Amino acid sequence: MAVEIKSWASKFKNLTDNDQTIAAMGKYYTCTFLWDMTDRKVIIEMHDGKVKNINIDPGPLDAYDFALRASAQSWREFSQPIPRPMFHGIWAASFREDLKIEGNHLIMMQNLRNFTVQFELLRKCGVPV
Amino acid sequence: MVRHSPVTGRYVTIDVDGMEYKVFYLQNGTGTPLVCQHTAGCHNHQWRGLLEDEEITKNYNVIAYDLPRHGKSDPPHNQEWWKTEYKLTADHYVNFIVKLCDALELRDPIFMGSSFGGNVALQLALRRPDRFKAVIPVEAADYAPGFFLDWWRHPHANAAQVCASGVWDLMAPQSPDMDRWLTWHYYSQGSEAFKGDLYFYSVDHDLREQLEQIDGRKCPVVMMTGTYDYLTPPNVTENTARRIKGGVYIEMTDIGHFPMSENYPLFRVYLKEALRIIRERKGP
Repeated sequence: MAVEIKSWASKFKNLTDNDQTIAAMGKYYTCTFLWDMTDRKVIIEMHDGKVKNINIDPGPLDAYDFALRASAQSWREFSQPIPRPMFHGIWAASFREDLKIEGNHLIMMQNLRNFTVQFELLRKCGVPV
Repeated sequence: MVRHSPVTGRYVTIDVDGMEYKVFYLQNGTGTPLVCQHTAGCHNHQWRGLLEDEEITKNYNVIAYDLPRHGKSDPPHNQEWWKTEYKLTADHYVNFIVKLCDALELRDPIFMGSSFGGNVALQLALRRPDRFKAVIPVEAADYAPGFFLDWWRHPHANAAQVCASGVWDLMAPQSPDMDRWLTWHYYSQGSEAFKGDLYFYSVDHDLREQLEQIDGRKCPVVMMTGTYDYLTPPNVTENTARRIKGGVYIEMTDIGHFPMSENYPLFRVYLKEALRIIRERKGP
């Protein structure tokens, strides 16, 4: 079930900012990324392991470092408490499903540990599509 | 009271294709040798559950080695190895395994490996069916392109974390947190070798035209793949096994690409079945 966007952003920020695994190595986790869920887009700005801002209505010129793009249905699959095979991570879904990783891949790789942990928080808060 | 494990570690020196390797291996058990290869960029601690599994070690001599450049097995001591890029080839990999088994005087060993260890198990079944009682290729395929990537050792990123988190979702979300993070930990230790290992995995290993030459009736081939493996998904392994004469395929539900390391209690259920099939075909 789709989650209302403002409450989703609030919940996701709260989950991220209080996640012990991210906090354990949160220093320097600083980057900005777009999640394109087809029916919705959000830009998440991270600074030292905390959410600095979630832009829930990005404009065409709003900047980000890298983007994940997939169908709304794929994002709903990512957010299941136990996702089905091939929807259980960004590598799996980019190799076998419709997830596209675009932009500056180097910045994603530089932040991969925490980005991977944060992506899995969707299993706790769902997605707004 | 001291709580020693029954597992012991030793070094053995062997020469392979002009390279002098001092190889570290862990061992426990008696009976049929069961030689275990870790995955690319990792080391023999992935087999820690199997090495201490009393039910299996009472009938099998479990040997888990570190491939040179991994864990406690150094790069060759007689070469200036730092002056050339490491790229593991199928020829050298096969020669190494056979030399190691010869040095340890292993008679009719079963060879089991996962991922790039599973792919070399297929190479052994093709090239040296006379030397092995059977092979168990885990998370393997005739061909596995796409993972020989520069990201594994890019100087602008933290290679340890890229390797460890880059393989994170090769594991199933159901696998226990502790075991997934231990596997992550192992992967943070092997980044310098990972890309060179994957040269074999994704480039040099290509048996698409040779699978029919493997005779699984002479050297049984029991392939096992987890449903959460995106590199060699179940259908890819199954299609590989189907093209091998007498090949067997076992699908492992709710587990990923590092089954022995990410969820040993579940993996051992399937492993026991693989060993049963081998006993049925080749005797104890």
